[in-house]
Amino acid sequence: MYKRFDKNYNIISNNHVKDKYFKLNIHVGNNVIYCNPGQFFMLNLPGHILRRPFSIHDINMQDQSISFLYKVVGKGTKELSQVRKGKIKLLGPLGNGYNLNNCEQENCNNIIIAGGSGIASLYILAKKLKKTGTLYYGVRSKTDLICVDQFISLNWKVIVATEDGSIGYKGYIVDLVENLIKKNDIIFACGPHNMLIKIQQIIYKNQISGFISFEAKMGCGFGNCQSCTIVINNQLQKVCTDGPIFKICSFQHYKIK
Amino acid sequence: MIRQTDLTVNFAGIKLKNPVLTASGTFGYGHEVSDLISLSKLGGIITKTITLHPNNGNAQPRLYETDYGILNSIGLQNIGLESFIQNHLQKLYKIGVPIIVSIAGQATNEYIKIAKILSEHSIISAIELNLSCPNLQKNIICSDLSMLQSIVYNVKNVLNIPVIAKLSPLNADITKPAFIAQEAGADALTIANTYPAMAIDIDTYKPKLSTIKGGLSGPCIKPITLRCVYDVYKKSNIKIPIIGCGGISNGSDVIEFILAGATAVSIGSVSLNSPSNLITIIDETYNILKRKNISSITDLIGQIKS
Ligand SMILES: Cc1cc2nc3c(=O)[nH]c(=O)nc-3n(C[C@H](O)[C@H](O)[C@H](O)COP(=O)(O)OP(=O)(O)OC[C@H]3O[C@@H](n4cnc5c(N)ncnc54)[C@H](O)[C@@H]3O)c2cc1C
Ligand SMILES: Cc1cc2nc3c(=O)[nH]c(=O)nc-3n(C[C@H](O)[C@H](O)[C@H](O)COP(=O)(O)O)c2cc1C
Ligand code: FES
Repeated sequence: MYKRFDKNYNIISNNHVKDKYFKLNIHVGNNVIYCNPGQFFMLNLPGHILRRPFSIHDINMQDQSISFLYKVVGKGTKELSQVRKGKIKLLGPLGNGYNLNNCEQENCNNIIIAGGSGIASLYILAKKLKKTGTLYYGVRSKTDLICVDQFISLNWKVIVATEDGSIGYKGYIVDLVENLIKKNDIIFACGPHNMLIKIQQIIYKNQISGFISFEAKMGCGFGNCQSCTIVINNQLQKVCTDGPIFKICSFQHYKIK
Repeated sequence: MIRQTDLTVNFAGIKLKNPVLTASGTFGYGHEVSDLISLSKLGGIITKTITLHPNNGNAQPRLYETDYGILNSIGLQNIGLESFIQNHLQKLYKIGVPIIVSIAGQATNEYIKIAKILSEHSIISAIELNLSCPNLQKNIICSDLSMLQSIVYNVKNVLNIPVIAKLSPLNADITKPAFIAQEAGADALTIANTYPAMAIDIDTYKPKLSTIKGGLSGPCIKPITLRCVYDVYKKSNIKIPIIGCGGISNGSDVIEFILAGATAVSIGSVSLNSPSNLITIIDETYNILKRKNISSITDLIGQIKS
């Protein structure tokens, strides 16, 4: 069921995970039932006009809590990382999320491809998929790896690529994946734009099922400002309301103009 | 004595239950957030600017939040007139508040064409002419006074509902385009649009927007736009009512704009944070009047003291 709320919630914890990564845990009460993998929330940060979008990283039905795994990249995320307790205003859950009933098929192999902080939204997906699969995970260097243990504890096979070769395959994760694709693979991907363009090509070329989670600068998150528009499957799409998850049906470079 | 507090205003013949309108381009086609707020509480809705044909807008990135305000270069992305009429107009009508459709064209002819088509839809309360978008490859229309005159005059000729001219604040003397719009037949003015502005990433040396320059909005522009409203209101030969638009974020801001001479206000950036901010602002405005024991908000229009 689709329902969204704009509410203050209690922060359970907001802890440092590793390097620039933090995990924010929020008690959302009964609204937890409306939260699905692939959806996101707009987090209100005092002193900023615009909210910041973050994907649902984990959902805990028992505790009625959700968590966000985020990387400090600028002013807003830095300030967020300094919040310890109290209340935070969230708008969501927003976006379409993965339609789990439709995407998993009988004989498919689930493949998750994550680049950098794109891993954040994919853990809850792996948790909710019926079958386990393989995670292909690309980062700059060994020290950037996060969540690997979480995937292993779900019995997922994890294959890593680092740009500097400090662990696993040396190079980009997409270059590795490209040669390993089989007909019954189904791809779920999230990461930097350039990586997603290549994955879009791989999905299209191999005529396999693929779902990509896109990011774009968002002004509102609920469809009113048109700041997040990209071109997918030959159509203008708002990442916030038409996405962020898109089933790839054609290949087109998704820049406007 | 307890007096009633009345927020209703008569704006160019349209009865608004309160002076708070949505600003064009920041509230979609007007009905998308009906699950989040009660839209019928709004004074009225101004839609995203509609063009004759669908428009893709500018390349990404087209939005950036600076430390002081928001930069956007959306570039009037919209679904085009036909699709707007087919898919949105009825939904807007059902909300039950006055609907103001914002329009823009490439040239005078296109404004007239759009106005003619919209004139067949009696559910529209007024048309706002966007003459001030800074995000197109051309000059801002209202810096060309004869074009401004011609658009307003010709659009007015094909419509029998109020026409509101939305002006750019970027004019050394904003009373000039304001006066010309009035003389050409405009029933009201929106003052103003965003301010051309830019930001640069100091690590990559690249501009923050794909178009380099965009339009600045949000609380940082409020004092400048307030001055524009004041200038136009106090010009004795300008009589038409004003929608104040720029950086409004609370009830005090609304009152300030009304004191400077606005009859209504439209609110953009702050509603992107949460549409419920619009309702909060209406409530705050009401509470300020109540506290001051002022019976009607219209009593405050232009009441700045010298
Ligand atoms: C649907 C969606 C889900 C997201 N989920 C997560 C998540 O789970 N974990 C996480 O760490 N990040 C996520 N992001 C990215 C996150 O929103 C940005 O990193 C954050 O908004 C930056 O805020 P800031 O104030 O720190 O950065 P700013 O000071 O605004 O910018 C600093 C840097 O961050 C980049 N940035 C800003 N906004 C975005 C954006 N919307 N997307 C990508 N980069 C951006 C800028 O280009 C700049 O380089 C998501 C983005 C979207 C659109
Ligand atoms: C994302 C965004 C899109 C906008 N699109 C339009 C538009 O299509 N037409 C228009 O007349 N003004 C547009 N504007 C300008 C607003 O209507 C308003 O004039 C301006 O933002 C100042 O008000 P504010 O400070 O309350 O946002 C846009 C502003 C923003 C931030
Ligand atoms: S973020 Fe505003 S429309 Fe998508």
